[in-house]
Amino acid sequence: MPLSLEEVEEIRRILGREPTEEELAMFEAQWSEHCSYKSSKLLLKLLPSEGRHVVVGPGRDAPAVKVFKDWVVVFKIESHNHPSAVDPYNGAATGIGGIVRDILSLGAKPIALLDMLYLGNPRNPHANWLIRGIVRGISDYGNRIGIPTVAGDTWFDNAFNSQPLVNVACIGIAKPDKVVLTTPEPGDLIIIMGNSTGRDGLLGSSFASKPLAEDVDRDIGAVQVGDPLTEKLLIDVIQILIEKGVVKYIKDLGGGGLTTAVCETAADHNLGAVIYLEKLHTRQSLTPLELLVSESQERMLLVVNPENIESVARVLDEYDVMYSVIGFFTDDGIIKVFYNGVKVAEVPAKELAKPRPLRRASTPPLEVLKGLKPLYNLPPEPNYEESIVKVLTSLNIVSKRWIYEQYDHEVGIRTVVKPGYGDAAVLRLLDGSRRGIAVKGDANPRYTYLDPFNGAANAVAECFRNLVAVGSKPIAIVDELNAGNPEKPEHFWYFEMMVKGIAWIAEELKLPVVGGKVSFYNEDHRGKQVKPTATIVGIGRVDDITKAMTMDFKENGSYIAIVGVTYPELGGSEYLFRIFGLEEGEIPRPRPSSELRNGKFVYKAISLGYVNAVHDISIGGLATALIEMAVKGKIGFEVDIAKVFARGIQRLDEILFSETQARYILEVKGEYLEDLLKLADRLGVKVSIIGRTRDRNSVVFTKNSTVLVNLDLSYLSDIYDKTLEEEIEGGV
Amino acid sequence: MTFIHRVEIIITNKKGVKDPEGETIHKHLILRKGYNVVHNVRTGKYLLLTVSASSEEEAVNIVKEMCEKLRIYNPVVHDIEVRIRG
Repeated sequence: MPLSLEEVEEIRRILGREPTEEELAMFEAQWSEHCSYKSSKLLLKLLPSEGRHVVVGPGRDAPAVKVFKDWVVVFKIESHNHPSAVDPYNGAATGIGGIVRDILSLGAKPIALLDMLYLGNPRNPHANWLIRGIVRGISDYGNRIGIPTVAGDTWFDNAFNSQPLVNVACIGIAKPDKVVLTTPEPGDLIIIMGNSTGRDGLLGSSFASKPLAEDVDRDIGAVQVGDPLTEKLLIDVIQILIEKGVVKYIKDLGGGGLTTAVCETAADHNLGAVIYLEKLHTRQSLTPLELLVSESQERMLLVVNPENIESVARVLDEYDVMYSVIGFFTDDGIIKVFYNGVKVAEVPAKELAKPRPLRRASTPPLEVLKGLKPLYNLPPEPNYEESIVKVLTSLNIVSKRWIYEQYDHEVGIRTVVKPGYGDAAVLRLLDGSRRGIAVKGDANPRYTYLDPFNGAANAVAECFRNLVAVGSKPIAIVDELNAGNPEKPEHFWYFEMMVKGIAWIAEELKLPVVGGKVSFYNEDHRGKQVKPTATIVGIGRVDDITKAMTMDFKENGSYIAIVGVTYPELGGSEYLFRIFGLEEGEIPRPRPSSELRNGKFVYKAISLGYVNAVHDISIGGLATALIEMAVKGKIGFEVDIAKVFARGIQRLDEILFSETQARYILEVKGEYLEDLLKLADRLGVKVSIIGRTRDRNSVVFTKNSTVLVNLDLSYLSDIYDKTLEEEIEGGV
Repeated sequence: MTFIHRVEIIITNKKGVKDPEGETIHKHLILRKGYNVVHNVRTGKYLLLTVSASSEEEAVNIVKEMCEKLRIYNPVVHDIEVRIRG
């Protein structure tokens, strides 16, 4: 987004003169939405970010959370939506590169990646091409830097045909005393290490801060190519530099390039800086302006005390990592930039780093009435067996094997619970103990489109349940808000409501939002916004990984229990969309106090060893969740849906497919049934025992003694496993 | 009357777009082994097709159209060269 006239006026006021060309480019890069959060800053202050686990909250490249006494987890989420729409392969790959460097900037060792992809319809040729490119870009880059992709979330929807959402997260671990938290001081040297600077990605964050143009060919400068080999070197040398204790501060050169990295570091520590641009190592001959705002990938800024420069240089030389000492920090708060002895820019760091926040106009569009409409005249219920098959084969539900099998999810032998088998991934700390962490990413674009406040809250709640379901204690979350054009009040309203929904439920669930990212301008060339989407990534603490829980049924004859109360909540459900083609109705209510109560119960039941398998109930409802457990365990079941504890139900599809929050399915070991029910009683949790697992090749739903559904398990497994691949490989 | 033609496709990153693979081969292999006379390396993808068509020109046109339609390359990032193999 070029600077507005008011902004140029503001810059004249700050400088007290006409800005130079270089200064204007610096302001344009830094004051873009992507770097400065100017439209979102005021609302993001609503998010609760404190807590006894929080070591570093929002503000740095990544937050850090003390999960165990002797381990901190550094984790962060990022979007690469715009680059991936133009060049899906490189766009998605460089997204991985960027998020990994955010984790490195705190001195942590990256151990896992998550990818949350909201993609178009695979039968649309353009969307299909984007899907393949994005998945291959992530897998090539992730596999080459040796970090496993362990979990994620996927959604397919026509709304994302031309503008997909590519949200990636990285998890790192570090010893508390090794996290880089020292303060840069005047006289400290500024080193840029990694790739040489080129013309690639020129003003890329400015590109990401405007709508997608129809003719994207002209945005060639914004295309960045990932270089995983250099990234791997950066990962390795940073571990060594941290171990030696010779760097004071690290920052990624991401959006806004050199300008953003220098001015934010200076502004955050009340410093100024002197920069000699000609010292920067480059790939081609560049003008001072280009040097300031190029977004070449795989570069990082190091702050080093002059007496340590020799030992830093030795490490970088030894690993063949290119670097240049480009200047130093000062105490005057002014950034002075020289090129071959000529001063090209002189700007106050704070004013450059932090433009005045804007309070954008915000109005609900008429379309949101769809999400307020109670469902009272649905078409008659179709055949239950057909409905179950149709919902199970929705691309939002079927196995995502086609995607995660392209990723290496086992490098580093940390993964205890693998993709597809648990509601979250569980990773070993690998420090000789049995401790570990659980991670998961969640969103539901349909919910946030119909009701952004409650939809975003439900994404937090689902993440909470997923973490609990594997036997972990949820500790903290980060959020990625993918919204439309902030200059349009009817787009901005969705963003505002998503922030407020997350802020509300995070407070209720006592889950601090320790960091996050905002992506605006997710609209197509006709100005239509994609489905606004709030993506949540959460981490949980696992005290004993040998007790980590998966969702597959384990034995014949155990009991099937539903935790929580089922309400007739079909609004915005996968059932409604798949069966009747409707995207409307009140979405399921967030139920934070039920989440806390039921979550505590499930956590206890797992740690006491009462259960064989746990699965949260989310899209597709009860029927879908049960079948997933059966398919993954290759064990059938027979349940009586009349036994499900429910309120206000008028039709059976409401029991089978309602997406009421705060519910789980447990496979309870026979000998512990009584204990489990006593525990539920003590904690005031509603539990209904609805049937048993059966070592037969069928899944049976009855109502009292009438059989409603009797489906062949092998058939269900087959379609569950193969549908996505068939849609992507054969659909076009 | 159709003949069999051999058609080559060469896909490379556009001139202004970085080529990390080429840079790595250049810096970490070629220069390291002392071939200082080599100044630059660009990599790409090569496909060789045998095509039935009435003329060389038609064969090239069929392949060009196929590359566009099947998105064998990304026009935003890549240059493509389609030619008859002599």
